[in-house]
Amino acid sequence: MPVVDVQNVIKKYYRDSQEILVLNGIDFQVEEGDFVALIGPSGSGKTTLLNLIAGIDQPTAGSVRVAGTELARLNESQLARWRSENVGFIFQFYNLIPVLTALENVELPLLLTPLSRKERRERALTALNVVSLSDRASHYPRQLSGGQEQRVAIARAIVTDPPVLVADEPTGDLDAKSAEEILALIETLNQEFKKTIVMVTHDPRAAQRAKHRKHLDKGVLTA
Amino acid sequence: MKYLPYLLRHLRHNWVRTSSTVLGMAFCIFLFCTLSTLIAAVDWSLKSAKASILVTRHAVSLVFTLPIAYRERIAAVPGARAVSPSNWFGGVYKDMKNFFPSFAVDAETYLRMHPEFILKDPVKEAFLRETRGCVIGKDVADRFGWKTGDLFQMESFIPPYRKTNREPFEFMVCGVYDTDEIRYPGSFAGLMLFHFKYLYEGTSQRCGIATYHVEIEDPEKAGVVSKTIDDLFENSDTPTKTETESAFRAGFISLGGNLALLLWFISLAVIFSILLVTANTMIMAIRERKVEIGVLKTLGFTNLKVLSLVLAEAAFLGVLGGALGIFLSSGMIRALPKIPFLSDAVRGFPFLHLSWEGAGQGFGLAVLIGIAAGLVPALISFRARITALLRQV
Repeated sequence: MPVVDVQNVIKKYYRDSQEILVLNGIDFQVEEGDFVALIGPSGSGKTTLLNLIAGIDQPTAGSVRVAGTELARLNESQLARWRSENVGFIFQFYNLIPVLTALENVELPLLLTPLSRKERRERALTALNVVSLSDRASHYPRQLSGGQEQRVAIARAIVTDPPVLVADEPTGDLDAKSAEEILALIETLNQEFKKTIVMVTHDPRAAQRAKHRKHLDKGVLTA
Repeated sequence: MKYLPYLLRHLRHNWVRTSSTVLGMAFCIFLFCTLSTLIAAVDWSLKSAKASILVTRHAVSLVFTLPIAYRERIAAVPGARAVSPSNWFGGVYKDMKNFFPSFAVDAETYLRMHPEFILKDPVKEAFLRETRGCVIGKDVADRFGWKTGDLFQMESFIPPYRKTNREPFEFMVCGVYDTDEIRYPGSFAGLMLFHFKYLYEGTSQRCGIATYHVEIEDPEKAGVVSKTIDDLFENSDTPTKTETESAFRAGFISLGGNLALLLWFISLAVIFSILLVTANTMIMAIRERKVEIGVLKTLGFTNLKVLSLVLAEAAFLGVLGGALGIFLSSGMIRALPKIPFLSDAVRGFPFLHLSWEGAGQGFGLAVLIGIAAGLVPALISFRARITALLRQV
């Protein structure tokens, strides 16, 4: 049974009175432990599909089932809780909280759990260890390079140990060397930690690191 | 509590904005607490006034005095039980900074009318016997270290109450009167009473009567008796104005209802301004953090939790501002009696201190302003969709 099961999904936006069809009857499955790259031109609906899988947006029609849960059936607070337990999100621009240290940024999702402060700190440090940044735990985002910020963001995404990771252009704001390191890290998460990963990218080299590639164009999967 | 460090970091991060907002809030609460304390002191002062006491003074102004002969005529008015002169002496002990209220009265009648000045019999007898005698409140005794038998000198800053030979009046402390807050709320332990006769003789019989305190038999007939007294002297050279003691006090301290209303209006205007300023600050703060709020929601923070965080941050500004405002207000109220010029104005308010109730109201108001100011940005954060928030990148 696929971890991500998207069936006949339609997503429309309305700008003023104009209807914009972003996803047009998408069928998309990702098996457990898979690493799938979603590629396609700008405006093809990659990020929209990713948002639907991550439970931060709802389809206009169709079904999105992730980690055994039909997302359309959840209300706002149930969906938030589901996200905190099942999905880790990696953003293109890292989106770390600037006033918090690396450790506190990683600890942030754990504030929603009943863990004690000590346990939260231990888990956050473990996650930072995984991304090889435990020595920068007390650094603020402004004191880190782009690659390091993205690694902290990855640590934040995995700290609750979610089965699914979604990454939106994770190397889009990085130089080639840092991008390579981040891709290697994502590969490790997939291969060693058995995370199911869905990654949106423009970068063909990044796409090549995935086990499978899906091409999206004008809201339709073409390959 | 686990979110407190998160809130504090945000407040500390933009410390200039946080400080200015907290200072604005503190100023608002400072004004609220200080003004409400002043109003409460005035109310307390008025509350202590008796319904059975009328005060008769010159119809034009307190500056003009009434003839001594009026006493017998007022006493003869139906409904009047007893009459005593009461002149605000304006005595100064050594220096203006030592000023305290002192009144020249007909001791026997005045004390009977005003049982709130509690005197032991030997003290009362000594006071009635001694021409230079005076009784003082505990506050005065403590302030100057005076005890029974001590002699001291005072001179009035009101020219008609000065001796013709320019010498000061000499007084002897006959005792300290007690007060009873429960039986007589508003009793004041910070004044001095002495014999009008001593003042009259000392000024070579030049001074008149500033006010007559008239005890009446039936407080419900205060209006009728007042009118009868004033009618009695209507066509004389010295017309009178008679009113209840509370009305007289309110007029005397110029803090009647209208001024209290004005003070409240000023308070409300300041509160409203600070509310707008704080709300604007919060909206700016949240607008700058749209992406962050989007991230929090993505991580699994519910809309309600995000709303609570924004409200808590705003309320925390209120807590800081409220605490600072109360601290400043408390300091100012304590300092008022020591500030030149202002000290004279507030000496008439014996119960001038920031009460726990007043401080609590100020603190509650600060938190309420904080929450109210945070309501709009909190609702914006609550309703915003994650995709819209993250699109701000």
